[in-house]
Amino acid sequence: MAILKKQSKVSDEIPSASMADIAFLLLIFFLVTTVFPKDRGLPIVLPEEQEEVEISQRNILHITINPDGTVGVRRGDSQNESFHRPHQIQQVWRTEVAQNPNLIAGVRTHPDAAHRYMIQVLDGLQMANAERISLQMGEG
Amino acid sequence: MALKGGGGLQRKSKASDQIPSSSLADIAFLLLIFFMVTTVFRTESDRPIEWPEAEATQQIDETRDNIMYIWIERNGDIWINDRLVPLDVVSELVAPRWVESGRRLRISLRADAEAPYRYVDAVQRQIQQAGAIYVVFATDLERRMMRERR
Repeated sequence: MAILKKQSKVSDEIPSASMADIAFLLLIFFLVTTVFPKDRGLPIVLPEEQEEVEISQRNILHITINPDGTVGVRRGDSQNESFHRPHQIQQVWRTEVAQNPNLIAGVRTHPDAAHRYMIQVLDGLQMANAERISLQMGEG
Repeated sequence: MALKGGGGLQRKSKASDQIPSSSLADIAFLLLIFFMVTTVFRTESDRPIEWPEAEATQQIDETRDNIMYIWIERNGDIWINDRLVPLDVVSELVAPRWVESGRRLRISLRADAEAPYRYVDAVQRQIQQAGAIYVVFATDLERRMMRERR
């Protein structure tokens, strides 16, 4: 009987001619939607709450950031304050830490000072490999 | 001497003058795979802030799931996950994420360069109150050239 032997005209292979087109379509989709993550910055570790450590004034370098961007630097055991620009802090820290390796940076920022100045000072300290940094807010 | 087709002057070049297109699909697939692997879909949109710049800027060494973004605008507005939130709610939002992450959560503090420090400090206190300790001040990498010009 002829009906039983009739062969199917449908191909049993997946058509591959449009594969490249599909790939291009997907490629364009991913090209357009891709956003490379921008997860970077200056890391710090905050002290846990109620974690207060008494430090000798001798080992503190008080760094005061004023609203106009000037930075006052004073050793804990001294009354003399010198003024600098934020990007000079790296050099200041290197000089001070050479004299006292146990030095801690106590950064006190005025509440009205721009965040940018605090970042510039923190940047300088981190560039100079300062590890012990305390961030506080000064009195307005 | 029988010269074929006019001799050496009319010799045809064997190099094809067409760009080979047989490898086109392979290249497309390669690029496709690259973009598929590197794509991270955005879960929240960026706030319009001026990024502070720092030379010591480094990549956050943590998976994206363990990074929480807190935006601080110039006027002190705080945005978390595309929502404007009041200051005292920040610790309530941070605390569960800190526990969930198994004390690994990194908080990316994206404050405007011109934002007064009082707002940044207030948010830091909220983070401390929530128990989280790892904070990253989000910055753009500063080019040395720009610093020298300053």
